[in-house]
Amino acid sequence: MGFGQFLSAPEVKLRIVTYRDIFQDSAKVTSLFGEDYEKLSAIIKLDPKDLSKLAIKEGDTLMLKNGFGKVVVKAQNSGYEKPHTGTAYMVNSPWSNVLVPEDAGGTGVPEFKDFEVLASSAKGAKVTGIREII
Amino acid sequence: MDNDNYVCTGCALLCDDIDVGLENGKVAKVHTACRKGFAFMKGCSNPLECTVDGKKTDVDSAIREAAEILRNAERPLIFGHANSSSGAQKRAIGIARKINGYIDDTSSFCQGPMVEAILEGKLKTCTLDDVRHKADVIVYWGADPANSHPRHMSRYSYFPRGKERQRGWEEDRTAICIDVRKSDTAEICGESGLYQIPVKGDVEFMDALVSALSGKIPKTSYDFDKKRLLELASILKKAKFGVIFAGLGMVYALDDREPLYRLMDKLNSVSNFHLIPMAGHYNMRGFNQILFEETGYINRVKFNGAEILHGPEYSVVEALRKKAVDAALVIGADPLTSLPRSVVRHLEEIPLITIDPCQTLTSVKAKVTIPCALVGVESGGTAVRMDGVEIGLKQIVETDRLSDEEVMIRISEAL
Ligand code: SF4
Repeated sequence: MGFGQFLSAPEVKLRIVTYRDIFQDSAKVTSLFGEDYEKLSAIIKLDPKDLSKLAIKEGDTLMLKNGFGKVVVKAQNSGYEKPHTGTAYMVNSPWSNVLVPEDAGGTGVPEFKDFEVLASSAKGAKVTGIREII
Repeated sequence: MDNDNYVCTGCALLCDDIDVGLENGKVAKVHTACRKGFAFMKGCSNPLECTVDGKKTDVDSAIREAAEILRNAERPLIFGHANSSSGAQKRAIGIARKINGYIDDTSSFCQGPMVEAILEGKLKTCTLDDVRHKADVIVYWGADPANSHPRHMSRYSYFPRGKERQRGWEEDRTAICIDVRKSDTAEICGESGLYQIPVKGDVEFMDALVSALSGKIPKTSYDFDKKRLLELASILKKAKFGVIFAGLGMVYALDDREPLYRLMDKLNSVSNFHLIPMAGHYNMRGFNQILFEETGYINRVKFNGAEILHGPEYSVVEALRKKAVDAALVIGADPLTSLPRSVVRHLEEIPLITIDPCQTLTSVKAKVTIPCALVGVESGGTAVRMDGVEIGLKQIVETDRLSDEEVMIRISEAL
């Protein structure tokens, strides 16, 4: 499926914060190439207002891109009581690492936990597989 | 350690109370471990095979090829080590020295700054056993042990009874979470225990706490509730034995360690506070300690004859970004999983050797892959827990795979 078809979808700028998840981490230990690891990694947790802005529902796929790469992941409602429009959460994984900026300002430490992406609906598209990432 | 129990190498907590059940010479049941530890000790479903250029081969040929690659390289990199036994780490440093190579580990883009400050004596620290027996105020700062180190709170930091904390979490301990979101750990700390700050708001929060501890009005540009900050300062001040668990959220928010030093100095002038870095992989801290003893640096080293070079330019990230290295040996890590995709691309352009019990994203791209035994299950040795305590690891089951240390010895000899 070409990416061109999503050009008309609204684009929303998001600040991404990454986190750890025991279920996803265990799935990696069991099988890095397995379905469970993909299912628990290729996700983004959004504020409900951002879901509306993107004209998508929970479970729809979303394309995330910036100057470093692009991935298709599934959207989830974060469920956090405190609103966090404009900030979204991704579990630390090869999917988030596609988008982490390369330039570490000479420090040797990339901005794993704080970077920006442009998000747009990718309804109907499949999430990016781990073998496509490498 | 009780002799009948084993150690889980699933994370840097190195839980030493693990009981296993064996079936047909394999670990079939794992008691007391968490979900991750259970998965780890049962072993991966994709074991690594011994290959050269994608073709299966015997260990001797793969080791010969690996040595050949390292010998021919002008600027080789040896990276990983966080999931390696201390014995293998020592050998890796020896190899890097022999071939004038770069050597770095995952702490380079993780907990390095905290471990370095501790080893240099700049931060007061304690052991997890001290925490279990004495800690009454526990601060999880940018840390979410409920997910990263699942038994942290139950074995050491919050729930257990300790010698001086007989009434446990219900009455004897106060848990505080300082984070940018309501993590699972924050849920445990409760509504009053969570101090939710904006992304990168940590430095201002530290300085505001120093003000509050000095009796001044604490101010932040994001207008954090002053009353709550003063309440927090009062809790910290009253601590008999306080501990801050520094997570990656805190580490990545600090451009330098000065704000943390200011806070720790202030805390220790009015109270009694320690800091433990939340190292993730089971022996990252071990590597840092060994390299520190040998070179005076914990990571980011390049050997150059008798000279030892050190600095961010020798970090794995900068060395790969700048394409400064022309061959790489990766052991006990998976940079293709853990580093930005754009940074690790150079690994695909140079001869790459991977040593691991399991297939990894890095091994998929490697010219030479050498399987090793799973440390703590198929081979023994030692490792260093997140608090700096050395833990002995026992072999549980037999294997025909070489231990990670044996692989490194063989490569060193072949050089
Ligand atoms: S907390 Fe860490 S060391 Fe303990 S059982 Fe879980 S993975 Fe293993």
